Amino acid sequence: MEAKKKFYQTDAFRMFMGKYGIGVVLVFMIVAIAIMKPRFIYPSNILNVLTQISVNCLIAYGMCLCITTGGIDLAVGSQLALVSVLLGQFIVLREMSLFPAIILSLAAATLFGFINGVLVAKFDMAAFVVTIATQLIIRSIAQIISDGKGMSLATPEFKAIYSGTLVGIPYPIIYMILISIVMYILMHWTKFGRYVFAVGGNVNAAIASGVNVFWTKTLCYTISGLLAGIAGVIFTSKTGSAQSNVGLAYETDAVAACVLGGTSFAGGISTAPGVLLGAIIIGCIYNGMNFLNIGSYYQYMTKGVIIIFAVLLDMVINKKNR
Amino acid sequence: MKKRMLATIMTAAMVLSLVGCGAAKEAAAPAADAPAPAATEEAAPAPAEEAAEAAVEAVGGDVNGDGKIIVGYISKNTVDVFHATLNGAAEERLNSLVADGTITEWTGILDGNTDAAKQCDLAQDCINYPCDYVIILPAESTASDPAVTSMADAGIGVIVVNSATDSTDSAAMAFAGSDDVYAGELMGNYVMENVPDGGVFVHCQGVIGNSAQIQRGEGMNNTIGANSSWTNAADVPCDWDASKAVNTVDDYLAQYGDDLKAVICDNDDMSSAAQTECNAKGRTDIVCIGVDGNQGPLQMVKEGTLGATVLQDGAGQVNAGIDAIVAAIKGETVEKSIMVPFVLVTSDNVDQFLN
Amino acid sequence: MGNSEYILNCEGISKAFGGTQALKDVQLHIKPGEVHALLGENGAGKSTLMKCVIGLVKQDTGTMEFEGKPYQANGPVDALNCGISMIHQELNPEPHLTVAESIFLKRENTKGFLLDKKAQNKRCEDLLSKFEVPYTAKTKMKELTLAQVQMVEIIKAVSCDSRLIIMDEPTSSLDSTETDHLFEVIRDLKAKGVAIIYISHRMEEIFEICDRVSVFRNGTYVDSRDMEGVTRDELISMMVGRDVKSVFPKVDCEIGETVFKVDKISGKGFHDISFEVHAGEILGLSGLVGSGRSETMRAIFGLDPLESGTMYLEGKEITNKSPRDSIKKGICMVNEDRKNYGLCLLRSIRENISLPNLPAKQKGFLLNQKREKKEVGEVAKKLTVKCASLEHNGFSLSGGNQQKVVLAKWIMANPKVLILDEPTRGVDVGAKSDIHTLMCEFAAKGMAVIMISSELPEVMGMSDRILVYHEGTINGEVSRKEILANAITQENILQMAFGQR
Repeated sequence: MEAKKKFYQTDAFRMFMGKYGIGVVLVFMIVAIAIMKPRFIYPSNILNVLTQISVNCLIAYGMCLCITTGGIDLAVGSQLALVSVLLGQFIVLREMSLFPAIILSLAAATLFGFINGVLVAKFDMAAFVVTIATQLIIRSIAQIISDGKGMSLATPEFKAIYSGTLVGIPYPIIYMILISIVMYILMHWTKFGRYVFAVGGNVNAAIASGVNVFWTKTLCYTISGLLAGIAGVIFTSKTGSAQSNVGLAYETDAVAACVLGGTSFAGGISTAPGVLLGAIIIGCIYNGMNFLNIGSYYQYMTKGVIIIFAVLLDMVINKKNR
Repeated sequence: MKKRMLATIMTAAMVLSLVGCGAAKEAAAPAADAPAPAATEEAAPAPAEEAAEAAVEAVGGDVNGDGKIIVGYISKNTVDVFHATLNGAAEERLNSLVADGTITEWTGILDGNTDAAKQCDLAQDCINYPCDYVIILPAESTASDPAVTSMADAGIGVIVVNSATDSTDSAAMAFAGSDDVYAGELMGNYVMENVPDGGVFVHCQGVIGNSAQIQRGEGMNNTIGANSSWTNAADVPCDWDASKAVNTVDDYLAQYGDDLKAVICDNDDMSSAAQTECNAKGRTDIVCIGVDGNQGPLQMVKEGTLGATVLQDGAGQVNAGIDAIVAAIKGETVEKSIMVPFVLVTSDNVDQFLN
Repeated sequence: MGNSEYILNCEGISKAFGGTQALKDVQLHIKPGEVHALLGENGAGKSTLMKCVIGLVKQDTGTMEFEGKPYQANGPVDALNCGISMIHQELNPEPHLTVAESIFLKRENTKGFLLDKKAQNKRCEDLLSKFEVPYTAKTKMKELTLAQVQMVEIIKAVSCDSRLIIMDEPTSSLDSTETDHLFEVIRDLKAKGVAIIYISHRMEEIFEICDRVSVFRNGTYVDSRDMEGVTRDELISMMVGRDVKSVFPKVDCEIGETVFKVDKISGKGFHDISFEVHAGEILGLSGLVGSGRSETMRAIFGLDPLESGTMYLEGKEITNKSPRDSIKKGICMVNEDRKNYGLCLLRSIRENISLPNLPAKQKGFLLNQKREKKEVGEVAKKLTVKCASLEHNGFSLSGGNQQKVVLAKWIMANPKVLILDEPTRGVDVGAKSDIHTLMCEFAAKGMAVIMISSELPEVMGMSDRILVYHEGTINGEVSRKEILANAITQENILQMAFGQR
């Protein structure tokens, strides 16, 4: 026992596994699927999977912040719909140019995120209840604005937001990389990130350490709203249609990505790269299951089983930390 | 030590569960059509001496030239009754095409989840698969359009089934469907014929924004909506959901009482549930009608508890779509737009549609 | 190998957690009807050994014998069935259960499938009557004080016919009357032949109640002695392996200007409190638990609202609406409730230490993590925080080290006034002495230190001045001079705490 430590017994390795052990799951999954369907790891399919996950990944980052503070943001799907509808109104009906239209739409999503945050942080209401309520309100607003109708939003310049490429890499992947970097810095290199972890880990200790809990929580929901808004722009460009019935149940995949990425529902623990890994795993599950010809009725079950096992695995790896 | 082992076992279990589901499916497929392996082996590998022959076949068949003919199937969803029937018909037909060697393989039913964005993702998956032909049942007329165009751009023969997307005419190889406006008109006319005095009716809508919802509503407005002896109490968004239709019936019965004469629903899951509710309240005089021709409502028509329903021949649509693929493989000309008519089903003709 | 003299025999017990050897070939022998103290610094292996005994962890090697038979529990319930129960330091009562439900949890009286509450309550009342307690079988657990909850645990142990009861720091949250009552109960149990393993850091108590003592150090067994004939200094040097010159390392330093002053402040649990504290001074607050000491400090720090009165920092009037305000102004507080208000145990030691000090570590928008690591490393080293790495989370630390981490974060903030609420509660002797030394260093640097302590020797040994609380007001003030001159004794202070002048 006292002899030389194997590499997997070292502290650094354990800590790495504690944070990113889920990556091992991902590698196993990719290898297993690739053995059965080599086309799964063709570059074209990899770019395809990464493009597909971009919307979920952005939503998941915001979700992760909220879950880390001990809350949740269930209004993200409706935010998507709101942004989609607003883009239609601004670009098609008001004939605004692209940039201001996007900024205004994002501002609306951010504002609703802020309202979520104030309700949760100021009045200490349960995040679950608040965001379920605002989810309904936001979707209703989107339906009122659009009168329930969809409209085509397929101008080439707007479509380019989703389908454009830079040196062969689709734009959505580039947005995702940029936002991943920003989120990594925000969560792990700023005061705000530390406060988020402290508030989620032990709110009383955070208060006693001089953390402004109100602003920390409010900012989390505001950022979540903004990210859902950006996801909404990408989403709308993807479908080329502005309508209010989109984004239903999108929060589920975002929560799943967070959980797979090691975000603790008890609050206080999460990492930005973990969320990215979680989103990639979800993407691989969808894409891989289609490649493997798994019947759609089995797909939900497979997804559920993988999530449960991934979380169990995470708990086993991290048991010593409890 | 124990923990690490447990961790390893769990990882293995996860991967296995994924692989297992795949394997189960793959194992099931050949078992279902026993003579398949021989046929596939003849068709799939195209060695040098057969190359010339294969090339002739490939004129209309193997679009991407990889020696295989693969058909993709992007469903609208796999949960509502109408689409379940439709998917079932597709599954049966495509399995038999694999069995007789017309096509090499097909993707299985890809679940579009009634989500246009999901369908766009699935379209990318089909391109990467790589499929030669893809059947798609769009969730949305506008939002699902990129799925159709992106596949068409990749050279895939796209067959749009059930409802059209914006650029179906220009991009798709064929469209097989029915005219939803006509279905709406059938409903409106049926109600006016059966309640000649007119009165109040209520409209249970599908998910707002779906093309079927929009067009059926349009047909309804063209007929009964334009008739001065009828008043539309409300267009109620019921999301294709039978229980919401029942709630609607209760609400408007309470409000209008005997003046309520008819309930027009965008699908017949809702209309049959609405009729059952009316009957239970002793209002068998209220006429409820919807579109689709699912087995439940048909059974009610047979029993006489439901006056009529408008049958959308989903199986006919999907078979017409697959016929188009078979024709293309054989190098025959493919009809661009195949219309499968709606049928008004009453007690007179119900037997021919009941399974 | 059975030796009938002992009720519990542990031989050659070893246990490793991951890479750390928590127990190395340890032995323990307990006689029936004795109160046996376990002594050792935190992390010496006492808790781990006890966890082995009640089956919470399984030893790697070694055997145990209970009442002459080989014994190995698979968990606390199993141990309870064998006749061994443990009263934990931190009690987690289920607040909505009644006393009876709590005592008979998992062995309820039943009539068929149904609970027989009546019979259960009757049985419970019978038990309670033997212990002269001021509550009934139907009282809800949430209505009880900590001391009463503890008594419920003891009654539960007795009702299970336990022949060996392990008490882990039973007096850590009791005041002295409650402690006296507990000791009566212990003596009672002893008379009935029940053996008690008594874990405590409070020497006075051990000398008062225990018959024998076993000392542990660093996961090894040092020795066992009869309490008669052993001295405090001997025990301490056995525990720490080095001589502790004096129990309290108080250094007298120059007392400067008034730094902080409160004038007639009132709030929930205290009223009309006025005092001032000077630079370089350690002001001790004594009194019974619940007499308003902690409440006053919480209000000053901004955790609770202040109802009236004024506060002055360096001559200027201030108000503290939140801890944030006070920290900015230079008033910091180490809370008595370490688990809830001290640390975020899920996060790393480094993050915990720098949490209140982040604004100073920013480089533009980003944190200067390099500087942070360096500075946190320095302060942790200075405070001798024992940990494998600063990246480990708070759960990996012993109580004493957790407390040092809390201290470290406030030292880094370099406050003008440092409030310490029970800074050495549940902390082992070594760390305790370290913390005392640090307090003197802070004072020497010109900080004004306010210390709340329920341990009279600590207050008397460390303070330049002592304020004694009684029922929400200050009932007396004692200076160090008076203590050194023996003009004031522990007894005098206790009398003040009980309301006499």
